[in-house]
Amino acid sequence: MRTEWAKASRWFAPGSSGDTAEPGAPGARAPRPGALGRRAAAAAPAVLGLLLGMLALGPALGPGFVLRYDMVFVPDPPIALPGQGFPRAVPSDLVVALFSRFLPEQAVQKAILLGIFVLAASGAAALVPSGRLGPRLAAAAFYAWNAYLAQRLLLGQWALLLGVAGLPWAVRAAALGGRLRLVIALIPAAVGGFQAMLISALAVLATAATAPSLSAAPPSGAAPRDSADPSRGPATVSPRGAAGRLRRVGEAGLILGGLSLPWLVPALLSGATTDPAGVDAFAPRADGPFGVLGSLLGLGGIWNAHATVPGQGTWWSAGVRLVLAAVALWGFARLRLRGRPPADGRRGEDPGAGDGGRGAPPYWTGLAVAAGAGLLIACLGAFAPGLVKALIATWPGFGPIRDGQLHLAPFALLQAVGLASAAGDLVLGSRAARARPRPVADRASRTVTVAVAAAVTAAPVLVLPTLALGAFGRLAAVDYPSGWRRVQEIVNADRAPGALLSLPWGAHRAFRWNGGRVIADPATKLFRRRVIWNDELLVGLPGGGRIRVAAEDPLVVRVAAALREDEGERVRTLARLGVRYVLETSGENMFRGGVTVFQDREIRLTRLDFPS
Amino acid sequence: MLRVLLALAIGGVLAVGASVAVVNVASPTPEPPNKPLYNYGTR
Repeated sequence: MRTEWAKASRWFAPGSSGDTAEPGAPGARAPRPGALGRRAAAAAPAVLGLLLGMLALGPALGPGFVLRYDMVFVPDPPIALPGQGFPRAVPSDLVVALFSRFLPEQAVQKAILLGIFVLAASGAAALVPSGRLGPRLAAAAFYAWNAYLAQRLLLGQWALLLGVAGLPWAVRAAALGGRLRLVIALIPAAVGGFQAMLISALAVLATAATAPSLSAAPPSGAAPRDSADPSRGPATVSPRGAAGRLRRVGEAGLILGGLSLPWLVPALLSGATTDPAGVDAFAPRADGPFGVLGSLLGLGGIWNAHATVPGQGTWWSAGVRLVLAAVALWGFARLRLRGRPPADGRRGEDPGAGDGGRGAPPYWTGLAVAAGAGLLIACLGAFAPGLVKALIATWPGFGPIRDGQLHLAPFALLQAVGLASAAGDLVLGSRAARARPRPVADRASRTVTVAVAAAVTAAPVLVLPTLALGAFGRLAAVDYPSGWRRVQEIVNADRAPGALLSLPWGAHRAFRWNGGRVIADPATKLFRRRVIWNDELLVGLPGGGRIRVAAEDPLVVRVAAALREDEGERVRTLARLGVRYVLETSGENMFRGGVTVFQDREIRLTRLDFPS
Repeated sequence: MLRVLLALAIGGVLAVGASVAVVNVASPTPEPPNKPLYNYGTR
């Protein structure tokens, strides 16, 4: 089993072990760096991710909250259990609230956003089957700076991005085996909630089902390359063949199911429904000149035009992203074509075959399957919406495939690894170059290697440069006006039961103090009591039409009916439905009835003094 | 040498394209930069 473990662990970039080149690989010809150099090389992808995160977030790292679409952080967030409706922010909001007990809320948000970049970059680099720094940095840069991540960031889906960032680590854990390793790798996705777990499940199950059955940990006395992995357990022997894979898939399924319980149980108990109209609303859209498929292949195609990176739809950006995708797919295919790994774990017979003729990494098939499935799901909404609607009508649990573009995450990871492979070929050069005498090769190739590695690492940023500086102002930090804090104090200090109704009756707001950026109603996260808000979604179409995605919360329908009643009856009906407070934006079509508790130029709080 | 030229050419093309993209986005436009194509969530 020692050989099996060595075969498994040597596929992965030795970032966690501090190595810089595998024995036998061409990179081993160079003198081994010292301990400091190895640590620097191991930390380089994470540092690159941090730098990219700082560049992308830019003004969003200043004092204040970053508020955009689903990204709604609030001061003093209450620790609350999931409410009614589908638990979209479970357990992410709870985790944020817990951390906010010890750290400033703004610092928590910025740490999460920067952590996404660091985790994504370091994870992608760790999947690269090469010890060379150049390819690893190429994968890190691409996975932390691509259209998919940018669009989801501009849609404010930080919880989903936690799963995206942890995805390479989850794939790595599924390929290496080990229950504890997989649990640890899935923690970011578990915190993120249902979308993050869904994309992780696709890749983890596919990898567990297709990776070679290997031991979960090295036998006693073995010296694994991944010796720094904290999840490494005692020596075990995994059963081989179909039975072993079945058992591994079952274990992965149980872990995924267990970590999904925080949102799965509330979802099953919520009685929330899924409107099939959402299939049209959330279908991928062409965001460039190459149509929907071209957009998806370039990792774009998100349904919301607000969430595109500025300039993303130009011929230049879309064309270069497509070329980059083609190069990445070629590089990923090259990993498969590089011969089989040697049986004894030593250098292959053909040293010129890639990184030593070691064959495809163990996650290759699983990642390919997950990426293909994700791309297929993304295409369904655009090319076969009837099928998706039929599936949702059969079982609302198919609802998450409405927003199919989010399932492109494994495809983005595949492209990152493929780009690293292609970069490795560029860096390593031809067989003839590798066959030169070592001193000649070192002298001639050192400068070239550094130049090519730098160019490949910078390529993702140059392809999508306008993600920088908070996508040129799309992301910025602002503070809540004092009235919001005062209302929060008043409502949370009131021990009397009753819900808070948030008006105007729509899911989103565009406050002037937030630069007109659209955000989900922040009232939904400010208060300890139940907040009733209209979770019906209106999606406009380029032609001027609108798609109306029905509300998921059953109580919303009854409140909407009450709001249409006469003034006096409206207040009584709302009180009967358990509404104690009404919060609305000042200057709008104001709510009549009840007692005004607080009002300033921004908002007004009304209390309905009727027995509920 | 061929790889050096190739890397320089690709890097140059990307740098020029990126510069144009940044200038396009950063330059003043008569429309709000975040004007929605789809009337979504803007009250």
